[in-house]
Amino acid sequence: MKQTLRYDQLSCRLQVEGLPDVSAGQPDDAVGIITSWTLDWAGRPQLEGRKEHLVALMQVVMPYARHRISGVARRFGDATQPVDIGPAEAGEGHLLMLRSSQSDTPPLQIGLDDAELSDLVRVLDLLRMDPRLQLPLAIPVSRPLKLRDVLERTPLPQRLAAPLGGALVLALATAFALMLPQPKVPGGPVPGGAVPGARP
Amino acid sequence: MPHDSPTLEISLRLPRRGIERLDLLLLSVEALDLNGGEAMVWMSEQMGFTDRFPNRVELWKSRCHNPLRRTTRRGELAAADGDALIRILCALADRLYPVLRGLLSQAEAPEVLVQRWALFQSRLSELVKERMNPRRGGVQKYLNPETCVAECRQLVQSLALASGAGGFERLKASLLDAGS
Repeated sequence: MKQTLRYDQLSCRLQVEGLPDVSAGQPDDAVGIITSWTLDWAGRPQLEGRKEHLVALMQVVMPYARHRISGVARRFGDATQPVDIGPAEAGEGHLLMLRSSQSDTPPLQIGLDDAELSDLVRVLDLLRMDPRLQLPLAIPVSRPLKLRDVLERTPLPQRLAAPLGGALVLALATAFALMLPQPKVPGGPVPGGAVPGARP
Repeated sequence: MPHDSPTLEISLRLPRRGIERLDLLLLSVEALDLNGGEAMVWMSEQMGFTDRFPNRVELWKSRCHNPLRRTTRRGELAAADGDALIRILCALADRLYPVLRGLLSQAEAPEVLVQRWALFQSRLSELVKERMNPRRGGVQKYLNPETCVAECRQLVQSLALASGAGGFERLKASLLDAGS
């Protein structure tokens, strides 16, 4: 009855073990209940956990990959969540942080290069789209990014250059316009008392 | 799909920037694979898009909606044609995944990586010069050696993330980004 789903890439292997949910009428080769999973990395410690940990991993890695494909590098997850991922602070690459539910276990940091991130995304995609996996996983759907998200990929000075330049030009033009002498009003009083066009 | 992880089913036309990026990604495939142009036609036939792109000319005409091209086509790219092009691109990226991975992996010897990137950049730059309008800002960044490195890396990373089972959904959403 126990089923094992295995997905391999060059740098990692995801293995999910589970059982079909017989009460839901699932076939024998389906997995409706995840009992455990392991993620083996080449040259790194093995990750393992329960279904909640796997879902937490997918909930940050999939949106991170979605943003990376658009060129937006931002962190997903925070210190209160079991997993977070973001761009590495020094140099290229990505930093995956895993926090254990046991208080005496320090967080595990895993640095990934772009190829390893792609491998991880591919195995998670394979799992989530596997027809044998018959349980709902709360993974965010890939959606087009909003303008404010897209703007993040442009550096701040570059983003501010156009509006600041425009404001500067406007200010200079206004100052120049204020320095111009006011045109004489036709028919107004002439210095010396003579009024043009006035009859004696 | 047995579970409720919904897929993005958007039948929207790609915006201008989306078409530009899609064509540049297809051009990157041609830079990675010397037979990329032929592979595109073959993949289109394999995936059953013969009714949309009965020959290579039709495929080329659909790519010419890219306003950065030297010879650009007026009108909008039909949503179904855009979807077909994205599916072809994702399938080609999947086929080229070992090559993409080889470019992105830091485990490779640095001198080998430098050679691979130099080859890719020179091929892409040749293709861009040949087919794109060099007066456009969007083209110049691929011809400028300083900005080309980061842009090429972004293209290769996008292709790697567009390969595989969930690649289509991810890439399509990306091409529909706001401000595109």
